[in-house]
Amino acid sequence: MKPIYIASCGDYFERIESDDSAVDLKALVAEAIGTPVRRIGRFIQLALIGAGRCAKQAALPEDAAVYLGSGRGDLEVTIEVMHSIVRDGRAPKPLSFINTVSNAASFYVAQSLKLTSQSTFVCNRYFAFETMLQLAKLDLEQGVVTSALVGTVDVVVPPLAAHRMRLGLDADTPVADASHWLLLQTQPSSTPLGRLLAAGHFTDAKALRVWLSDQTIDAQWKLATGQFMPRAEADEWQRALGLEVFDYLTGRPYYDSQSGAAIGEFLRREKGTLLHLNRDPSGRYQAMLVAVES
Amino acid sequence: MPSIHLASFGLHTTLGRGIDANVAALERPPQPPREVSVPLGNDARSIPYYTLADAPLDDIEARFEQALHGVIVEAIERAGLSQTERREMGLFLGSSCGDMPLLETQYRRDLESSSEALPMTKTSSLGNLANRLRAAFGIQGPDYSYYTACTASANALLAAAAMVQAGRLRHALVVGVEMFNAVTALGFSGLQLITRDVMRPFDRRRSGLVPGEACAAVVIGTEARDSNWTLLGGANLCDTHSISATNPDGSAIAAVIQQALERSEVEAGEIAALKMHGTASLLNDEAEAAGLRRVFSKAPAVCALKPYLGHTFGACGVAELALFCSAVERGMLPGTPGIAAGDSDLDVTLNQTLRAQPPGKFMLNYFGFGGSNTSLIVANDGARSR
Repeated sequence: MKPIYIASCGDYFERIESDDSAVDLKALVAEAIGTPVRRIGRFIQLALIGAGRCAKQAALPEDAAVYLGSGRGDLEVTIEVMHSIVRDGRAPKPLSFINTVSNAASFYVAQSLKLTSQSTFVCNRYFAFETMLQLAKLDLEQGVVTSALVGTVDVVVPPLAAHRMRLGLDADTPVADASHWLLLQTQPSSTPLGRLLAAGHFTDAKALRVWLSDQTIDAQWKLATGQFMPRAEADEWQRALGLEVFDYLTGRPYYDSQSGAAIGEFLRREKGTLLHLNRDPSGRYQAMLVAVES
Repeated sequence: MPSIHLASFGLHTTLGRGIDANVAALERPPQPPREVSVPLGNDARSIPYYTLADAPLDDIEARFEQALHGVIVEAIERAGLSQTERREMGLFLGSSCGDMPLLETQYRRDLESSSEALPMTKTSSLGNLANRLRAAFGIQGPDYSYYTACTASANALLAAAAMVQAGRLRHALVVGVEMFNAVTALGFSGLQLITRDVMRPFDRRRSGLVPGEACAAVVIGTEARDSNWTLLGGANLCDTHSISATNPDGSAIAAVIQQALERSEVEAGEIAALKMHGTASLLNDEAEAAGLRRVFSKAPAVCALKPYLGHTFGACGVAELALFCSAVERGMLPGTPGIAAGDSDLDVTLNQTLRAQPPGKFMLNYFGFGGSNTSLIVANDGARSR
């Protein structure tokens, strides 16, 4: 199995306090990718900022593939065309319609960073980041690609009351725009930040336990649990595994793919091995395992 | 590496419900689309559409679930999967519309009750459709909802094949879905890409595309079971020339075809027949014709299925694969009488009549918005004939 290295990471994260408080992202896009991009919505802007920041931290080969995920997709442009057609009785503007294809964001990432390999957009409601990591890891291991730019994007669409309703959140839940990216490579050109050891799906807790029993867990490992795992269950895993907790969620406003922040936060703050576990309401689990050399 | 077998298909299109009905319909020439009333606020516009056979548009929500469930049941039952195999398989969905037909219907209904109603308050994730299907069919494996425009379900198939080949999954269910919705109809109408005629790809009389509905499913695995089809390989590459059109010089299309051939360890000259993407837009036709010229010194037999199905966008990857393979399995290569019949302005001549086709290796190409280009290569060993 080819080792997979984390060459760089890039993030954008901004709590949205009120209906009109969202940051103008144009300058951040230009700063991240070196050139302004016109006539794109916030979802695409967020993708460009996160991916651009990640790409700047390492040499990005032109054959790097793009793996963009999201828990919802581009809510902003979808809501815009729904208002236009259903409420206002106006056909969608051509550019708005073209940008309803969800891979518009991954296209702009590939175009802006001058990439020529595959560019994919995949949605997964509860495991957006984990899903993209799995797909990229498999392609890297099989030699389909040698570099993979992997990320997730979540966009807040005001008014905030409506946004919270769409996401099924309580009326006072803080929310955020977010974009989290990693550059994974099988042959890094400079000293890597860490290694991706595993990214796996488990049909139930029993299957996860079987996998865990095959791992050589030691005191250097830390455990993080994802946003969709109930608190009580997270505590049970912590007790069962006896690992120190790595907390990256406390105080973090809501967005769907918070798991995307876990690895980047660990790379910045810790050494050792991070085991990240998440579960969805149907009892399926995802595990991510990352090592940072001491 | 183990072979990836296309164990079974399910298909529901404008041609019919079920594989047999779809293949039987290829014996007639492509039929013109019907006009469908597309809601636009309190008004409506008439737009040509190939809607599903035997599924009237009167209950958008019910027909959506029924059609989708129907093709999945067809594929799963033909594959003979056990309960345990179903529970553990992965679900790979490819679509352009996702839940859009349901979202539009709910919003329209909510606006009738209150002018303050908001869209997407009951469901707002492109991943929810996969979760509903998982719940309905008891699938606990991973789910991946591909939204890469017209290549979505073809890309979903490639990812599923990689997972199965690597031993991560024993089986995968790959589903393509594209159902009637106003955003797609009005969006393409606004781009002035829709024709009221039969689609005529590579024909100098081309006048555009017709949106089509399709639900399609394929079960894949490493065991042959009752199938004689294998997926030899494929490739997906991003063409950053333009978000809405691939490079007309054919270089990007040639690159993805070449990569698919290399990964499948197949020479261009071994391809017995090729299914074109064929959207009947000049830009796509030019790029596709130019791409083929770069790869094939001698063109194989070529056919196009959108004159029969319409453009089923994100579903066309699996829908056209299911129809093509099922026709070839019965010894026939689909033909489109009178379309690109030898006087093509792009020097592409489509197969004209439903003719005998022996087993062999075949290529299926798909190119979409967002610069997503995909090429699949499949093989039929001819061991079984339905």
